[in-house]
Amino acid sequence: MIRRRLVSGASAALILAIEFALFAFVLAPRDGRPSTFANLANVGLILKYSSIYGIGAIGAAMIIGAGGIDLAAGSVIALASVTTGHLFVVDGWPLAIAMAAGLLIGALVGAVAALLVVRAQLPPFIATLGTMGVARGAAFVITEGRFYDLSGHLPAGFAPFGVPLGAWPGVLMFVAAVIFHVVVIYTALGRHLLAVGGNELAACYAGVRVARVKTFVYVTGGTLAGLAGVVLAVVQGQGKADLATGYELDIIAAAVIGGASLSGGRASVVGAVLGSLIFGVLRNALPQIPGGTYADRLIIGVAVLLIAVMDRVAARRGD
Amino acid sequence: MTFRRFVALGLLVAVLGCADRSPPPNRLRFAIIPKAIHIPVFEYARIAAERTAKELGVEVVWRGAETTDEIRQKEILESFISQRVDGIAISCLNGDLLTDAIDRAVDAGIPVITWDSDAPKSKRLAFYGVNDVEGGRALGDGLAKLLGGRGRVALITSLGADNLQKRLEGAQAALAQYPDITIVETFDVRDDAVRVAEVIASASQRYPDLDGWLSVGGWPVFVRNALDPVDTSRTKVVAFDTIPPAPDLLRAGKVQLLVGQKYFGWGEESVRLLKQIADGQHPTEVYHYSGIDVVTRENVEAYAEQWKRWEAGR
Repeated sequence: MIRRRLVSGASAALILAIEFALFAFVLAPRDGRPSTFANLANVGLILKYSSIYGIGAIGAAMIIGAGGIDLAAGSVIALASVTTGHLFVVDGWPLAIAMAAGLLIGALVGAVAALLVVRAQLPPFIATLGTMGVARGAAFVITEGRFYDLSGHLPAGFAPFGVPLGAWPGVLMFVAAVIFHVVVIYTALGRHLLAVGGNELAACYAGVRVARVKTFVYVTGGTLAGLAGVVLAVVQGQGKADLATGYELDIIAAAVIGGASLSGGRASVVGAVLGSLIFGVLRNALPQIPGGTYADRLIIGVAVLLIAVMDRVAARRGD
Repeated sequence: MTFRRFVALGLLVAVLGCADRSPPPNRLRFAIIPKAIHIPVFEYARIAAERTAKELGVEVVWRGAETTDEIRQKEILESFISQRVDGIAISCLNGDLLTDAIDRAVDAGIPVITWDSDAPKSKRLAFYGVNDVEGGRALGDGLAKLLGGRGRVALITSLGADNLQKRLEGAQAALAQYPDITIVETFDVRDDAVRVAEVIASASQRYPDLDGWLSVGGWPVFVRNALDPVDTSRTKVVAFDTIPPAPDLLRAGKVQLLVGQKYFGWGEESVRLLKQIADGQHPTEVYHYSGIDVVTRENVEAYAEQWKRWEAGR
C-alpha cells in the first residue's frame, strides 16, 4: 500500500514535470526574448497562488482517503480570513494571535463537521454542505459585506523571519506536506485513516477507532483550510467574506488528481500538493496562449477528465 | 499507466502548441483585463480594443477571470507582469487588493492604466471612465424628479468595487437633498444578474408600497425579466448601463431612466493611451472622464442610432 501511494505521488510528479516542460516548449519565444513562462519569477507566482489550493488539498486528501468529503473548504478559507482580519484590523490584536484565531475557527468548523458525521451519522456530503453554508454565512455576518484591509496595517516590506511575504504560501504548503506525508505514510494513524476509508466495518472489527480517525481528518482538514485562509488574508492583504468561492471543487480535484480515491482507502498528501501545482501550471500557462480567452475552463476540465479516466482504467487493470 | 497519462497530457498540450503565438517582431503587446469575462458590458470594450489594436498595429490580449474572483484577477494581473507585456489596462474588481501588484508593474517599467473601475491609491498612470460620483448623482436626481421629491426607495449595488461605491455615494448624496425620500434598504447583489432578480422579487413582497428602485449597476436591465415583479404603474426604476436589452426595457416602460457609459471607449481609449505611453507621451493628467449618457424614453431612439455608429466604429 505504501508503494502504491508512492507510485501515485511519483506519477503526479511526472505529470507535473512533463506539463511544465511542454508549456515551456510551447511558450518559448521564437524571437530570442527570454521566456515569459519558464523563469523563476513565474515559477514563484505559480507556487504562490497554487499553495492556497495545495494547503487545502492536503486536508481534502486525508478526508477523502478516510472515506469522507469536505465541501466547506472554500467557505472556511473565507471565514478564517475575515476572523483574522477582524481581530487584527478592528480589535487590534497582535497579528500572531489573530492568525491563531483564524486557525482555531477552521478547526472548529472541522469539529462541527466531524460531530455531524460521527455522532449524527449524516452523510459527509450533507454535513459539509451544511457547514459550508454556515461558515460562509458567518463570514458575511462578521463583515456585513465590508472587508478588512490587513495590508494597510502591516509594516512596509513585511517579511516574517526574513522570508518575503509572497513566499510564505509555498513554504507553509511544503511544511504541511512534509508533516502530513509522514503522518499518512509512517504512522499507525495514517494506516488507520486509509483502512477506515477502504472498509470501515473491517477497520472497526480490526480495532481501529473509527470515530477518532474521522474526527482527526475533519478537524485537521478544517485547520488546514483555516491556514489557507489566514495565509490568503495576510499575503494578499484582505479578509473578505466572498473570497475563495468555489475553491472547494478545485481543492477536491487537486486531491483526486494527486491520487486520492473518492471511494476512500487511497490518498497521497504529496500527490495532492502536486495536483494543486498541476492546476496552477494550467491556470498560469493557458492565458499565455493566444485566442483561448474563453476556453481555459474547458481545457482544464478536459485535462482533469483525461487524467481521471486514465487513472480509473489503470486502477481496474491493477485490481 | 504513467506512460499513458504522459501521452494523453502531451497530446493535449501539443495540440495547444500548434497555435501560432509568435507576434511580429517589435509589435507592442498590451494586456486588457476586465473585471470578469462573463459581465456583458465588457464585451463592447473587447470589440473596440481589438479594433483599435488592429488600427494602431499593436497586439491586445483580452484576459479575465471567469467569475468575479478578486484573487483570480490579481493572479492574472501578476501573470501579465511576469510575462513582461508592454502595457496593462485593467478594470479593478477591488482596487485596494490590486494596488501593490499595480505598483510593482509600474516600478518594473510596465505602464498600467485603469478603466471603468479604478485603483486610486496605486501608481497607475491614468484612469478612463465615467466620473462615478457624477453618474450616481444623475441617477439619484433622476429618480427624485420622477417621484416628485417624495417616496420610499430601495438601492441596488455590489459591494467591493471602487466605481460602484462612488456611484452609490453619489446617489445617496443626491437623494439626501430630498428629505421626503426615504431609502428603505440597500441590497448587495454581488455582481450577479441572476441574484438581482431574486432580490427584486423578494423585496417587492416585503415592500409592496415601494416607490422607486435605483441600481448603480446594470444588473436589473441585463436581462428582460428581472423587473417583472415591479408594478411600473407605481414604482419607478432607474439604473446604470444602457447596453441591450436595456433600451428595450425603457421602451416597454419597465425602466424610466438609464445612465450609460462609453463602453466602446473603455477598449478604444485604453489601447490608445497605452500606445501613447509606449511612444513616450505620458498622460499629463490621471483622470480621463468619458462623460455619461442619460437616456429616457424621449431620446432612446437617437441613442440607439448612436449605438449603431459606435458598434460600426464610426
